Amino acid sequence: MSRKRQRTSYDKTMKKIKKKDIGNLLRQWQSDFAVFTPSRKSGTARMEEWDGQDTSFLEWYRNTVIPPKGNIFPNMEEMFSFHKDGEGYHLELPAQDEAKHLIFAIRPCDARALKIIDPVFQDAYEDNYYLTRRENTLLVGLGCTDPHESCFCTSLGISPGESGDVDLMLTDIGEEFSIEEVTEKGKELLARTEGLVEAAQPDELRTRESREAAAKKISRKLDTTNLKERLLSSFEDKEFWEKAAAKCISCGICTFLCPTCYCFDINDETSGGNGTRFRSWDSCSFSVYTKMPAENPREDKWQRVRQKVCHKYEFYPRLFDITACTGCGRCIRLCPVNWDITRVLESVPEETTAQKENRNAN
Amino acid sequence: MPIKDISHREKFLAGGNVYLPHIIVIEKIIEETYDTRTFHFNFKDDNLREEFTFESGQFGEYSVFGVGEATFCISSSPTRRDHLEFAVKRAGKVTNALHRLSAGAEIGFRGPYGNSFPLDYLKGKNLVFVAGGIGLAPLRSLIWNAIDNRAQYENIDIIYGARSPADLCFQYDLDAWEKDKSVKMVTTIDHEHEGWQGRVGFVPQVLEQVAPAARNTAAIVCGPPVMIRFTFPVLEKLGFTPEQMITTLEKRMKCGIGKCGRCNIGDIYVCRDGPVFSFAQIKDFISGEY
Amino acid sequence: MSEIEQKLQTEAKALLEQGKVDYIIGFTQGSLRFTTTPLITRDKGDTESLVINPFIVNNLSVYLNEIKGRVGIVAKGCDARSIISLIQDEQIIREDVIILGVPCPGIIDLGKIEKLVGTDRDKLDDITREGDRVIITTGKEKKEFPITEALFDDCLGCESPIPQEYDILLGEESPLSRNTELSRSKIKELEDMPPEKRWEFWKSEFSRCLRCNACRQVCPACFCERCFVEESEPRWISPVPRWQDNLMFQVTRIIHVAGRCTDCGECERACPVDIPLRSLTGKMAEIVDELFHYKAGTDKDAPPLMTAYEPEEAEDFIR
Repeated sequence: MSRKRQRTSYDKTMKKIKKKDIGNLLRQWQSDFAVFTPSRKSGTARMEEWDGQDTSFLEWYRNTVIPPKGNIFPNMEEMFSFHKDGEGYHLELPAQDEAKHLIFAIRPCDARALKIIDPVFQDAYEDNYYLTRRENTLLVGLGCTDPHESCFCTSLGISPGESGDVDLMLTDIGEEFSIEEVTEKGKELLARTEGLVEAAQPDELRTRESREAAAKKISRKLDTTNLKERLLSSFEDKEFWEKAAAKCISCGICTFLCPTCYCFDINDETSGGNGTRFRSWDSCSFSVYTKMPAENPREDKWQRVRQKVCHKYEFYPRLFDITACTGCGRCIRLCPVNWDITRVLESVPEETTAQKENRNAN
Repeated sequence: MPIKDISHREKFLAGGNVYLPHIIVIEKIIEETYDTRTFHFNFKDDNLREEFTFESGQFGEYSVFGVGEATFCISSSPTRRDHLEFAVKRAGKVTNALHRLSAGAEIGFRGPYGNSFPLDYLKGKNLVFVAGGIGLAPLRSLIWNAIDNRAQYENIDIIYGARSPADLCFQYDLDAWEKDKSVKMVTTIDHEHEGWQGRVGFVPQVLEQVAPAARNTAAIVCGPPVMIRFTFPVLEKLGFTPEQMITTLEKRMKCGIGKCGRCNIGDIYVCRDGPVFSFAQIKDFISGEY
Repeated sequence: MSEIEQKLQTEAKALLEQGKVDYIIGFTQGSLRFTTTPLITRDKGDTESLVINPFIVNNLSVYLNEIKGRVGIVAKGCDARSIISLIQDEQIIREDVIILGVPCPGIIDLGKIEKLVGTDRDKLDDITREGDRVIITTGKEKKEFPITEALFDDCLGCESPIPQEYDILLGEESPLSRNTELSRSKIKELEDMPPEKRWEFWKSEFSRCLRCNACRQVCPACFCERCFVEESEPRWISPVPRWQDNLMFQVTRIIHVAGRCTDCGECERACPVDIPLRSLTGKMAEIVDELFHYKAGTDKDAPPLMTAYEPEEAEDFIR
């Protein structure tokens, strides 16, 4: 599932390209792929299909608002359509999206996020919608040079400057980008790409320096010592979780914009006897998420906040051996009340409130 | 841990897509109570009709196209395969739409999903079935399964109750089990009711009165959450260990296959790792969210 | 620490110590630069971290409905109007709330600051307001702008710099920097658009809507226990985020809060995909004023707008 990258990465071919020639590179790739780049044209920063011209995103791009997971697992997608005639119901799957996609400038955190949620869609039953798109999407990573103050990827074992979860990895080395092949797919694409120059020793050095500099710039740290144990032991500590959840307003921003959240809802749209079944993003933060006619096990806000935190840092790792968080910081940046998961995680007690009170009483 | 062996789950995929339902046809509708109906159905496709198999305790996702999909256990027994059954209590959009259908209507079916009652564990034991209201639906699949393989089990006790006589479901089953000398049938209603000659009392109370012996016995419980919560302590009092108590959990589900996240408790998905659990397993759940 | 902050901390601590309230709701330093975050506490020690600065943007009255008990709440003028509106709707009892009124000269919009200097907020070193100017410092460079270019749009149209209802006033009125024209510039732009163009505009905006529900959750007027969106029989709005349903959701929500929406702007601020929701709420508040001569949250003894009827009221929309 996770590819372990060899530390001897520099024996692979490294090429480079001038930043001002990126347009040519993307145009070449457009003949084989639908190329997606960071864009604010829709009104919000996300990966959108490149118009063939505009590379000004290189000036403002630090990270998108809507994560690239939205390109593989969209906010809304059609599952199948149905129509009724004299013979009864007929179901039709949507035309398979066989087109090859290329996402350009995906950050290491977002690329790791896709690896993190892959098991969900592969395990036990295969989810064709996600897996087909995932298989057909080539990832070209771009190392960070300017992390946000909300980024904390390094605390989760992710390096902002390099990634083994992409097919090709670009690094900013001044006037140029160095391009490193990571997978066979990436190597094969690079081999048939023109206009690239072989990188020399100084370029490799600058690549390494750029990557180290990026990691040093990460200012936010999350101490994960004993985190799983602390979460497990404080699961029933209602007082702690009520305090931690007090200012949350139960919207869905953090979960929708999280690159590792994947909960979805299934609904039908209909007109007469015909219609379509859709799936769309859903959130465990919503109060109706677990509501049943007889009861709602997570009626209270603190229970939902607890579920979200524990699912990402404890339950998911138990299932798939990987934490469901990449430290991309979107949840912290975009929360309307500045609810900060790093602060909450660090305050998860070693002992429960009740245990502390007992200890103080004795 | 991730489930690697999915060979038995690969069967019965429509169009190779796990979310695509098969078309099933409603053959018969039985009005159990004012708000509960049983639907008899069969697959439209002849091959599937012949080949389809399932085990007691498993469920399906039933679609009313244009309205939505909902989860119901398969309430018929795998030993009686001329048709399949599920029972629906009216509660919301999809259940109400199901109740508006007539025989001949086409709906969708995905399944069978979930785990099943642990027959290997149950064989050779006494069985005590404790059910309330529509909770009898998943259990009746196992009850008929056991009766059709009667020699494999020891005593069979069935304790079933509902709010009032009008709320008793599966009356035809209750009558048959009443007549069947190889099982002991106890029916109860919650409060006194005019014309009711039988037992009165909540199911957990009646269970305590019947006091089945715990040795070499398994208790299978299903009903409204409040009934289950009061039944487990009674069973404990009677000497049942948590391993001897089995139930099938109800949770809000959508995909039924452990992907959409809704039925997640700790590191298990009720749809994928359940819905059948022993009380020992439930005690291990991260929280009392059951 | 400023005088007003000192006063706030003293008063808040006293309220808790004297048992006059169960909770204090205020602002404290956030975990990002130039950001504050709500503080909800029963602990008098926490009152030492309460702050008042140009970044206390949240409308804290959104928490009043869910907190059980008596509350001491920090409120700017706009927030106090929301509190009054909640009292009118009988969602809270006046005696259960002690309003710590904050005279507010306007809140700084970090989005506008970023556009003015062309730099992201986490790269700035300092943002200070001096009178009617704002000074933004990055390293050795200082840039100055008129404050009206840096405040939120609804601050520019503020009509209640001092809360109209308060129990303790924490300071003196500071001069407002109003610019009503600027405040409704986006609304004017839309008013001047021909209807087809306006339709295309909103269609495009709502195509971005993710249905995260932040607009609804952050709104103090949206206190329904069961929102119409969650009804399934009949299903008024589809949960599938197609632009048609997103548009219908928002328009319906805004009509539902008409007469109770104080145009505080939280919905627009909270929206992660930058849909200009205030253009709708602001316009709605203007329509309500035109038709019914009513501004939400200005008179706590007035019956809620939609429950009162005067025979002389406008009827021309009844055709």
